[in-house]
Amino acid sequence: MFNPSEKAYCLALLALKRKDYRTASDHFDRAASGFKTDREFNLYRETTRLLLAVKREIAVLEKEDKLEIEEAFPNGQETELR
Amino acid sequence: MSQYEVLRTLEGVLESFLERVVLLKKNRLDVLEGINSLDDIAQSSTDGFEITDRIGEWFAEHNRWLTEDTLKTGDIEGISRLLSDIKTSFKTTEDSSPAKKKISSVIDRWDSLKGTLPDIKKTSQGSHKMVLKRGAEQVQEESIALFDQTLKRCLNMLARSSINKKHLLSALDDSLRTASIQKNKDALLLSAFAIYYLKQNGYKIEPYVKRLKEAERLLKGNKSDV
Repeated sequence: MFNPSEKAYCLALLALKRKDYRTASDHFDRAASGFKTDREFNLYRETTRLLLAVKREIAVLEKEDKLEIEEAFPNGQETELR
Repeated sequence: MSQYEVLRTLEGVLESFLERVVLLKKNRLDVLEGINSLDDIAQSSTDGFEITDRIGEWFAEHNRWLTEDTLKTGDIEGISRLLSDIKTSFKTTEDSSPAKKKISSVIDRWDSLKGTLPDIKKTSQGSHKMVLKRGAEQVQEESIALFDQTLKRCLNMLARSSINKKHLLSALDDSLRTASIQKNKDALLLSAFAIYYLKQNGYKIEPYVKRLKEAERLLKGNKSDV
């Protein structure tokens, strides 16, 4: 019943329902050929992509904020504290 | 506000938007989820896998669709096509298990649901052509006269609504209020006409469409009360 694009769009929406934005974006990409001119589809796809980009940026900033401390022990073992 | 805080705010806005999309489409998503799983079962069936248990579970979960007003015409057609594919590879004989026989009869029940729909035929290009059935056209000369009278009443109503108003949007606001409060069908028709006119002229009409739908709902409710 579903052609590959329809199936991918459907799976993308179901992934959004689960808040699995990475998977949703992948399915949106797969569905794109069949929905290029669909405004609603493009809105959901671009919003999801933007959200992922924002999350990536946040992750980078959070990593920069972490203070990494390495403590060397006399027996040569190292313990990484974060 | 730091860059981090801006990003966090934006993240919240975007997530909230997508959550609202999901909420708005909840019913459609439930249907899509069901059809998608049936699509998977049909694919497995075509590939020769045993699907008795899976299709049994699917029916148990979705048989309520037969009695609820959840499905659109396209959904019913799609489900019927999938079930038809499944039935082709799901042949029952005298020796078949009771579960298999029962599932076959449930598929037939779904098939009978399809019988209530308009005919959908495949054209030579492979696309679908819908044929709507209706009886022979009856002569209804009075319909033109009735429409003419309605237009005249709407014009009079517009003239009344426009007194001391500087823009059609204000007259429309008045007309929509009349349609909702007085449950006036002429006001509803005038509002719809004005909204369409404004749309053609590039105005943002979504809030008015919402109010029109609400007025229509109230009008229908009023009729059913009588």
